[in-house]
Amino acid sequence: MKQQIATLKPGRRLPAVSKTLTQEQIDRYAVVSGDGNPLHTDRRFAATTRFGGTVAHGMLVLAYLSEMLTRAFGEAWLRSGRLKVRFRAPARPGDTVTASGTVVQSGDGRVRCEVQCANVRGEVLISGEAEVEG
Amino acid sequence: MAVSLAALPRGHQFPPATFTLAPDWVRDYVAAVDDTAIVSVGDGLVPPMALAALCIRALLERAALPAGAVHLGQELSFHRPVSVGERLAARAAVISRGERQGWVLMGVELAVDDASGEVVMEGRATVTFPSDGSDP
Repeated sequence: MKQQIATLKPGRRLPAVSKTLTQEQIDRYAVVSGDGNPLHTDRRFAATTRFGGTVAHGMLVLAYLSEMLTRAFGEAWLRSGRLKVRFRAPARPGDTVTASGTVVQSGDGRVRCEVQCANVRGEVLISGEAEVEG
Repeated sequence: MAVSLAALPRGHQFPPATFTLAPDWVRDYVAAVDDTAIVSVGDGLVPPMALAALCIRALLERAALPAGAVHLGQELSFHRPVSVGERLAARAAVISRGERQGWVLMGVELAVDDASGEVVMEGRATVTFPSDGSDP
């Protein structure tokens, strides 16, 4: 697919990426990102919040979407990728998150896709648009 | 100690933060997000989201997230592949701030420049938090 960006037609689905979140992974992301908010890492504290438990950093889940786009578009994603998303619901430890996308527009050497991350219950966690130059 | 993001007005500019994409940090980032795609693109390349993570990290070192803060949205544009070992500079500014029904809605512009001053990533984060500092 990487060599065919300019020829992708609307409706074409990008290969999805699925990953299962663990608390260990969230803890690692907290360290590497410097975001030590206890909502992500402290089960006892998080249980007292409206989330009822720890949740993943939005940017961690968004990284799954970027990985899906890297797989689909290769170096072009790193060179010309654009992403605009909303975080709609939290991802929790144990959730299997699937990042997916569909081409909605192509032309003039650019492709625009609708993208999302969803859990196995069908809840959309992140949704938005991505654009890349071929 | 970092001030709270809640205390910052529209127009506030964070001092630029420079950093090097150290191999150890990139390795830890790739492991944390379980990115198995970047190696297929090229040796020594950094996942583009790592730039955003580092930029936000630099911001968080200067302004703490208020209690109850929620990341609502994110816009990002990547302008070229970035390699391990590159020296970069992160910039950030509060570009919007409004309040409605007890919640502050804040837009923060982010950018990362390379050693020659060229922008390699830019974007905007939208966050919201209770205006009274509580955690509902």
